Amino acid sequence: MKNKGLYIVIGFISVIVLLLPSILPPFQLRMVTEIVILALFALTWKMIFHHAGLLSFGHSVYFGIGAYVSVLGWLHIKDLSFLSGILLGGLVAGLIGLILGAFLVRMKGTYFALLTLAFNQLIWAIVWKWRGLTGGDDGLGKFSKPALLGIIPMTNPKNFYFMSLVIIGISAFLCWYITKTPFGNVITAIKSNEERANFIGFNTNVSKLIIFTIAGFFAGISGALYAQFQEFIAPSAIDLGMSTNVLFMAFIGGTGSFWGPILGSGIFVYLSEYLSILTDRWEFILGFIFVIIVIFAPQGILGLYKKK
Amino acid sequence: MGSIFPTFVIQALHGLVYGCLLFLVSAGLTLVFGMMSVLNIAHASFYMLGAYFSFQMLRWIGNFWLGLIVCPIVVGFLGILMERFLLRRIHSAGHVQELVLTFGIAFMVMESVKWVWGTQPQLVPIPPSLNWSFNIMGNLYPFYRLFIILFSVIVMAFMTFILMKTRLGITVRAAVSDRDMVSALGTNTEFVFMLVMGIGSWLAGLAGVIAGPFLSTYPGMAIEILVDCFVVTVTGGLGSLLGAVVASFIIGQLSSFGILFIPRLAIVFAFLLMAVVLIIRPSGLFGEKA
Repeated sequence: MKNKGLYIVIGFISVIVLLLPSILPPFQLRMVTEIVILALFALTWKMIFHHAGLLSFGHSVYFGIGAYVSVLGWLHIKDLSFLSGILLGGLVAGLIGLILGAFLVRMKGTYFALLTLAFNQLIWAIVWKWRGLTGGDDGLGKFSKPALLGIIPMTNPKNFYFMSLVIIGISAFLCWYITKTPFGNVITAIKSNEERANFIGFNTNVSKLIIFTIAGFFAGISGALYAQFQEFIAPSAIDLGMSTNVLFMAFIGGTGSFWGPILGSGIFVYLSEYLSILTDRWEFILGFIFVIIVIFAPQGILGLYKKK
Repeated sequence: MGSIFPTFVIQALHGLVYGCLLFLVSAGLTLVFGMMSVLNIAHASFYMLGAYFSFQMLRWIGNFWLGLIVCPIVVGFLGILMERFLLRRIHSAGHVQELVLTFGIAFMVMESVKWVWGTQPQLVPIPPSLNWSFNIMGNLYPFYRLFIILFSVIVMAFMTFILMKTRLGITVRAAVSDRDMVSALGTNTEFVFMLVMGIGSWLAGLAGVIAGPFLSTYPGMAIEILVDCFVVTVTGGLGSLLGAVVASFIIGQLSSFGILFIPRLAIVFAFLLMAVVLIIRPSGLFGEKA
């Protein structure tokens, strides 16, 4: 019976999601698109946190790399199609995940968090200073927005919304599916007791490396889409602030479940949008809400619901 | 040689000044971590509050020395409040939640500072009694920087004395190595935690007050020094005071000479050092617990 209810809810949500572009004014549609894109980013962060038990303070590295690489692709590679550009961003971000992961696998707890932070600052500094390639502070804009499959124009916000929805939907499904495979179980085993998992015969380092690569890949996809969404990319996509945002999203929504980060990204985007209209001090209020949630609902909003 | 050498000395002195400030801030951070296993991201916010409080004191009363005494105490008290009413509440939820909570607090402090004092850097004047320069090998060097070094060394010596020779210091050192055992022996570790948190915040506030006239006082100063402090504590080994001393001076010199030789990549050096140390020796230079 529980499953039936779940299917009804999912069906209900899908209908709403499909109808949204016809109902919402363009401004609202833009926000929903942003939520959809950021949801994947938050999901990949949660993959590392919830499944592998590691707190990453530098997750925007993969997001930003994905964004920058795909933008550079659209700028410099002739006739790079929409999807290949996004895939390119994802692949390079995955590769970065693999490289950084090689150093990160041995770290635990606070040391892991701090090394991710150091990598984040390092790569942000490189992006920021390498003006010739990345445009430095000025960022990169005016890159092409190729039509999907050569026929569907992406300049139409409705088309862009559906396309993001499909790409993010597939990616999110894959992220979810991975956790249900035997490999996903190994990752969970590592979280509960790495030594024991190692002792049983799993190479925990390789497993962790794989999960970093996958998380990097999907974060890169999300970043590449975000670049197309903004039609502009600046170092702020790869700085600590972006890593902070993903932490906010995941913790507000709840780090324990699949829907948590998605809900969190929704709340985050809406809150920052509307609070910034209401008051200049919206960031303060956002931080306040965050602290309250961490104190009273350490498992996030969805965590509260689960307890009952 | 004749022309290069003085520049070298000046640059080394710059590095020493920054290293001293880094140490004052990192000392609290590393002690708190050693005792509670909590990396207090809000620690650097206390440093920033120290600087801003002192700025406000100067505006109201105009006495730097009074600010130097009062502001760090206020900041230390805030640290105690934070430990007592926020951190302790979610202690049972785990270290990650504590880390994330301190992060949220740091964010709020930064926003409050922007709210109260604005985003523009505030100019904190050097007290007149310290505002003079002396001659080092043909270069005029501001005395205030020397004052920072002297003051930090005195504070450091004082802290070392407390830590090594007093009963409180012995309890703290014991709690760093095994808090459960100390608690079982009948010490009120919760109270000691609170006290250490207070002292750590007091040190950070102190560093903030003396850094105000030297570095610029603006809402980003916390993040700026926080990141360097992380590098210091991690490179030196989390929980190790000796490691914090050594790493502070390395980072101080590195940033000072980095700016002299390769200004474009100066900010990268510290992280590179931290990454390299962590990769070769994951527990840091003097750390024991990994």
